[in-house]
Amino acid sequence: MIRRKTTFSLIGIGTVIAALVVFDSLIGGDWSPLFGGKENFVEFWQEDLWPPDWSLLEARKYPACEASIGFFCSKAYIGMLETIKMAFVATVLGFIGAILLSPLAARNLVPKAISFPVRIFMAATRSLPSLIWAVIFIAIVGLGPLAGVLAMTFYTIGYLGKLQYEEMEGMRSDPLEASRAMGLSRSEITFLVVIPEASNGLLSQLLFMFEYNVRHGTVLGLVGAGGIGYYLNFYIGLFMYRQVMTFIIVIFVVVVLLDLLSMFIRSFVNEESDVKRPSWKTIFLPPEAAVKEHLEKTDE
Amino acid sequence: MNHANSKPLVTLNDLTVGYDEPLVSKINMEIRPGEIISIVGSSGIGKTTLLRTIAGLVKPLEGSINLNIQPRGGLGYIPQKLGLIRHASVAHNVGLGARAGTSFKEDPLTWWKRRNQRVNDAIELMGLSDKADEPTRRLSGGQQKRVATARTLAQQPQLLLADEFLSELDEDNIDVVVRAVINYLEESNAAMILIEHNIERAVEISHRTFSVREGKLTELSDFGSEQE
Ligand SMILES: Nc1ncnc2c1ncn2[C@@H]1O[C@H](COP(=O)(O)OP(=O)(O)OP(=O)(O)O)[C@@H](O)[C@H]1O
Ligand SMILES: [Mg+2]
Repeated sequence: MIRRKTTFSLIGIGTVIAALVVFDSLIGGDWSPLFGGKENFVEFWQEDLWPPDWSLLEARKYPACEASIGFFCSKAYIGMLETIKMAFVATVLGFIGAILLSPLAARNLVPKAISFPVRIFMAATRSLPSLIWAVIFIAIVGLGPLAGVLAMTFYTIGYLGKLQYEEMEGMRSDPLEASRAMGLSRSEITFLVVIPEASNGLLSQLLFMFEYNVRHGTVLGLVGAGGIGYYLNFYIGLFMYRQVMTFIIVIFVVVVLLDLLSMFIRSFVNEESDVKRPSWKTIFLPPEAAVKEHLEKTDE
Repeated sequence: MNHANSKPLVTLNDLTVGYDEPLVSKINMEIRPGEIISIVGSSGIGKTTLLRTIAGLVKPLEGSINLNIQPRGGLGYIPQKLGLIRHASVAHNVGLGARAGTSFKEDPLTWWKRRNQRVNDAIELMGLSDKADEPTRRLSGGQQKRVATARTLAQQPQLLLADEFLSELDEDNIDVVVRAVINYLEESNAAMILIEHNIERAVEISHRTFSVREGKLTELSDFGSEQE
């Protein structure tokens, strides 16, 4: 037992040392930019990044704004909304593709002769980042959101599919055995036993994937596949970093909000929430205040 | 009751069960419609393995099993861990049994109705009507056992394999569950193999009681004394 523990710590220490050695060789042993880098960054920050150009949150001049609130005609809003729409469509389509394929990749549900090729296909769609898929789809369908949606869908099938079949393989075997003994068909077992039993995990993965796709959707515009990345790319090309900064802040805020939203939705399916469910308010409060608020609520 | 002249539902021929090593060897047994068989034996001896082998979930190491029942819905199985879908409702779980036990082809127009009827009847019989829409993970241990029983009652199998589904139930629950299952078996002339750790209860419920010891299955002729 003790020997096992020491072995694990030695492996741990060895890994950290190996990482430092590899790092050193990557940068050719020259660590000086890391220290000189600080002044560079402060200068860059003060002269080029701050303050951000908030005018991007106001209505753009052309075409004329028809919304009553100018923000809804701003470049930030239009770009971000397009990215979110693309991520939404790709996540839904990718989820459908993944949920149909993943039961065919789970080794506790199908023979190896089926699961193996399906896994290979999923691994292939996952092997390239969505940015590279976007370049490929642009070559096929041209510039714009269609290429972005296809790229993200493709990647989602491989990535979400892997998470899903792992979830399915981890499920308890007794519901499977009971339904197999009863004589239920393979598709009945998949849709009425496996998917409901795995539903909690599948839902959190779906929300995670949406958030992931929003984040990655922001870079797809860099290659011309639509969304807020188009503007990012545009301003980076013109060295207009104050404008870039505005978009970065918008992306940051949206991602944080999505994270909170998905946390809130997931709280409805967590098993702990059978006992207690957080209210909308608590996710915005600091931890101690949230606990207090929760206790007051349950006292009623 | 005389079970002797009907055709056996299950015939075990020199059956040896186990995973890599044999656990129970050379079992010969016939089970006829209406019969209740119980199996006792100490923990880890291979009782569950025997039941899973009969259910077709584990391959026999040697010998064979002849099942004379419908491939769909003919065999009911209540695993030791019950096999409930934790995130699905009581009605959904019971519905799986009803689905396996009702034929769509027989009469597609009434299938939906027949199935729902079975689900509702079984849930009511097990006293779970007010829990029908609740996910089963929120039920107590005793309630979960009643859900698994309701699932089997809605299925109406010809042969029921039940793995210790009475243990850890209080007397009231046992009464309700045992009476409902035995009623069903008698009405439909169905058979049951029950694994039960309480020998007295096993003898009381069943027509024949078997014990697993030292890798062999032997029948107990009277309570306490063994027949070779
Ligand atoms: N899937 C498996 N693969 C290999 N060995 C197993 C497997 N399942 C059970 N065993 C082993 O087989 C033996 C018999 O297990 P089994 O579950 O049949 O016992 P049991 O008689 O039902 O015991 P209990 O009364 O505790 O339920 C045990 O030693 C167990 O560790
Ligand atoms: Mg057992």
